[in-house]
Amino acid sequence: MTDSEIIEKAKALLGGRALEVANPTLRRIFITVAPGDLAAAVTALRDHLGFFYLATISGVDDKDDYEILYHFGNKDACLNVRTRIPKAAPRIASITPVIPGAILYERELQDMFGIIVENIPDPRPLVLPEDWPAGNFPLRKDWKFERPVEKIPGGKA
Amino acid sequence: MKVTIPIGPQHPALKEPISLRMTVDGEVIKDADLRLGYNHRGLEKLAEQKTWVQNIYLTERICGICSHSHTTCFVQGVEKLMELDPPKRGLYIRTLVAELERVHSHLLWLGVAGHEAGFDSFFMYTWRDREVVMDLLEIISGNRVHYAINTLGGVRRDIDEAQRAKILGSLDTLKKRTEYYLMIGANEPSFVARLSRVGYLSKEDAIALCAVGPTARASGITQDVRKDDPYAVYGETPFEVATADSCDVLGRTVVRVKELLQSYNIIEFLMKNLPNGPISVKAPRRAKPNEVVSRYEAPRGENIHYIRSNGTDKPERLKVRAPTLGNYAATIKMLKNGFIADIPLIFAAIDPCICCAERAVKVVDARSGEERTLRFSELRRMAGRRFEKVSQKRNAVWPF
Amino acid sequence: MLNRLVRWSRIKSPWILHLNSGACNACDIEIVAALTPRFDLERFGVLLKATPRHADVIICTGPVTRQIKDRILRIYEQVPDPKFVVAVGACAMSGCVYRGAYNILGGIDQVIPVDAYVPGCPSRPDAIMDGVVKLLGKL
Repeated sequence: MTDSEIIEKAKALLGGRALEVANPTLRRIFITVAPGDLAAAVTALRDHLGFFYLATISGVDDKDDYEILYHFGNKDACLNVRTRIPKAAPRIASITPVIPGAILYERELQDMFGIIVENIPDPRPLVLPEDWPAGNFPLRKDWKFERPVEKIPGGKA
Repeated sequence: MKVTIPIGPQHPALKEPISLRMTVDGEVIKDADLRLGYNHRGLEKLAEQKTWVQNIYLTERICGICSHSHTTCFVQGVEKLMELDPPKRGLYIRTLVAELERVHSHLLWLGVAGHEAGFDSFFMYTWRDREVVMDLLEIISGNRVHYAINTLGGVRRDIDEAQRAKILGSLDTLKKRTEYYLMIGANEPSFVARLSRVGYLSKEDAIALCAVGPTARASGITQDVRKDDPYAVYGETPFEVATADSCDVLGRTVVRVKELLQSYNIIEFLMKNLPNGPISVKAPRRAKPNEVVSRYEAPRGENIHYIRSNGTDKPERLKVRAPTLGNYAATIKMLKNGFIADIPLIFAAIDPCICCAERAVKVVDARSGEERTLRFSELRRMAGRRFEKVSQKRNAVWPF
Repeated sequence: MLNRLVRWSRIKSPWILHLNSGACNACDIEIVAALTPRFDLERFGVLLKATPRHADVIICTGPVTRQIKDRILRIYEQVPDPKFVVAVGACAMSGCVYRGAYNILGGIDQVIPVDAYVPGCPSRPDAIMDGVVKLLGKL
């Protein structure tokens, strides 16, 4: 199926839930949905359009809200579903009931941005060390880091 | 009765640190869990502070075995952001290095699989042949690993006639030797029986857990970014996607050997049809605000980069998902209902790259609470002994 | 007399422990490639051992991440004296491209004392052999 056919079918499936649809380059489609419609949209895309392979979940720190992108792929195109959640209330529902393989990516989202993923089957941190002080989310734009002073063996302290 | 085994982060034969915790009942694994983070270097935050060109060198060092895949994925994305069109000769050279990297990575994996299955001479043979490929890469780019051949808009070094002739000549050697390994594989029943029915992952599980690369292709899923979403010159190069149906480690080995043979054909096609012309175009310093998703088929699976720019000379966001992370959920599924002694083989079968290695399996006996530390070499010996005792001879045939 | 014999055997056949502290694996593959038929470290009596308790020389690669710092210290204490530490690769020397990342402490010498540094990104297998041999020559 070509890009335009996929877009037509997606618009028909999602109806008013698809807030914006973009096709910037060949085989790349971006659809924006509201956070509440996410699970329904993903289920529809998986069952009727064949997008069952989730490549990864990216979080982006935009000025006032977090943008979360779900990258799906199949033989014809790469479809990216985008939602925005406000920084004041960073919560999003988990899509593991629909796509079980999303668990690791959602854990990483929790670690790096502090976004709370509701109903996640396994909420432990994924990549940060065990002695990481709580409340520090590295990929937020306002998180700054002070490098510790290095000691040079045999040199000036 | 449950026993919990933490497999901790220091290993003898292989490379990376990662920690696995296994809950065991006798010798059968009931549950597995993994702890990442030993290799977490904070690259995504660091990438926001470096310019586009500096980021090429940063992404290269995400992984040492598939370094070209990360730079190419990144550079492809940035070229789309900056709306650059690299010349054909540059794309051909980029694809050539990509296929050579795939060859060296699969030969490395074959050696590791042989080593984990107890077949050390196979390990030495394949790594000796890998040196032929490393020599070729050194002639083309100047370094055995971390070639740094990509730049924004094309490649940095050209290939002359003498190098082309040498590449074609070495291909003959490699083809003969790979066919010799095929013959060994087909005629060595203990090697084949050791690998078959280990690490079973059904097709439905592979689809649900979003497995990538040879792990998914060995379960019968035809998924290859080179065919689904062609980049560089894969749209014009004739090749086939290698799949297998046995859903176990034997299937993964077969898929990789088939891919090796396909890669030799691709390299021959590229060298015989190399067009003339420039190798790169000039790239601007800044990129307009935009976003791009870039996909690449690394030797281990699909590599995906998401890049967003904001009009300056530094990226706004770089998100990297390496292929091994996509296979972890599937690994845990594979480990359940497997044997402790199969852990090294199952783990090696997904071809773990970054942040993967553990190798001191600490066995905690839940009944008595005492701890025992098993090394992977001991696990390997246990595997050999258990394998001899297996009463039913598994009639496994090399399905080629 | 016995001391000289022991020292001679230690120099002539060092047993190596390979420690990876969060590296990209290029240096690690080069270390394992040093054992393959092309470069062949085993003809010098060098064996790659699995456990810290058998090793004489610790070969470290990679910048030190926060998570692995305690493990390195623990392994260093488990290696019996006299022990030598070789830092292989630019990451183990100073952090290479990762300097400034939030999870990286720097080179290996921020955690354990190092006796020899082998530069390169990654170091060639011949350079690693050269580094180990030079270290043993100092004994």
